[in-house]
Amino acid sequence: MDVIWVNLPFLLKGAYYTLLITIISMFFGSIIAVIVAVARLKGNKFIRWMARAYVSIIRGTPTLVQIIIVYYGLADYGLNLQPLTAAYIALSISIGAYLSETLRGAIQSIPKGQYEAAYASGMSPYQTMRRIIFPQAIRVAIPPAGNTFIGMLKETSLVSVITVTELLRSAQLLIAQYYVYMPFYLAIALMYWIMSTGFSFVLERIEKRLSIYD
Amino acid sequence: MININNLSKSFSTLEVLKDINLQVNSGEVVVILGPSGSGKSTLLRCINGLEELTSGTIEVSNIVVDAKKSHKERNKQIKKVRLHTGMVFQQFNLYPHKTVLENVIEALLIVKKWSKNDAEIKGETLLKRVGLIDKKDVYPSRLSGGQQQRVAIARALAMEPDILLFDEPTSALDPELVDEVLAVIKELAQDGMTMAIVTHEMTFAQEVADRIVFMSDGVIVEEGPPEEFFSQPQTDRAKKFLKKM
Repeated sequence: MDVIWVNLPFLLKGAYYTLLITIISMFFGSIIAVIVAVARLKGNKFIRWMARAYVSIIRGTPTLVQIIIVYYGLADYGLNLQPLTAAYIALSISIGAYLSETLRGAIQSIPKGQYEAAYASGMSPYQTMRRIIFPQAIRVAIPPAGNTFIGMLKETSLVSVITVTELLRSAQLLIAQYYVYMPFYLAIALMYWIMSTGFSFVLERIEKRLSIYD
Repeated sequence: MININNLSKSFSTLEVLKDINLQVNSGEVVVILGPSGSGKSTLLRCINGLEELTSGTIEVSNIVVDAKKSHKERNKQIKKVRLHTGMVFQQFNLYPHKTVLENVIEALLIVKKWSKNDAEIKGETLLKRVGLIDKKDVYPSRLSGGQQQRVAIARALAMEPDILLFDEPTSALDPELVDEVLAVIKELAQDGMTMAIVTHEMTFAQEVADRIVFMSDGVIVEEGPPEEFFSQPQTDRAKKFLKKM
């Protein structure tokens, strides 16, 4: 256990990067998701096709492969990204695809009458979307999106392969130094679990706040 | 106020409205009756552009929507029409994520860009009018169907429309809740509000209507004052319809 306590600051720094990557990817992924979901629902034929292709490609390929393509693949074309930047980009693009599907489903679940009431009162399609449909759709999308976010938190371990010193790689570096595995791996497993639980808790609170009108 | 000329409406191959001509004058209450599937609701929804016209024209408060014009131009006109019409739906369609007062003032804030203070004063006045001021901070899910529909009426009134359209306002209500909604509509009629009402409530129609329009199979079969329509219907279809009621 001593090796853990001594190296705890180092592991916590790894946990910090894990959280940072998760939150930044969540943020940009959500923006991508909104744009893609609206593009699939309201865009013209070409835009809809683009959005579908994006979702299909991202969901149909391993996240690990996407990360490697962004970091190593793009380097072939002279685009040398920092590992952390590559991680943000790859994971935002990845999570955006999954979230956009969640959001699209949620938007489609809002009854037609809501649009009609808003249109009848003179609102534009944009105003209707922003003020009436979206707030309700977000509420529907929160539980499944929460699952995606927690999945994301765990998937950040994949960026260890591009030398981002997040939690998993921190453990690996320590293992290389001490030649013991179990204490470090158990320690980071516990830390992942604590972070996931923390996330679930926050999401539950948000869900509750949004459901005051039920 | 409303002037509908040669209006036809088809859903792909199904023609639901055939060459409709109808006028509604200022201050008049027109009740549209007819069996299910006769096109009553579609006619109402054409007036504020929730359905597109296939052919013909609709004029509301001197704004003309012409089926012959381009899509873009029609949309522009429809948007103007919607500022002069209010609609009350069968399923209420209140915004579930907004309180009663927020439901009423939403369009005032967003469409008319009123200040929150002015809108709230107006909203509260309207909620008093429909008897629901004590519910102003409650979410719609906490209200009975009848209360929800009264809020929906207040919401439609908030925009100060020239005409109110009612699409079967009591059809989704439990029988014991129908009267409170009809009472509100009757009050509006007494206040001189111009209204077009699609309903299955015959007694109410008789009481509130200045004129009955009877539709069947997408055409206006008969129209006239309620006393005449209910006591001496002219056509067989109207006679059959009234007998079934």
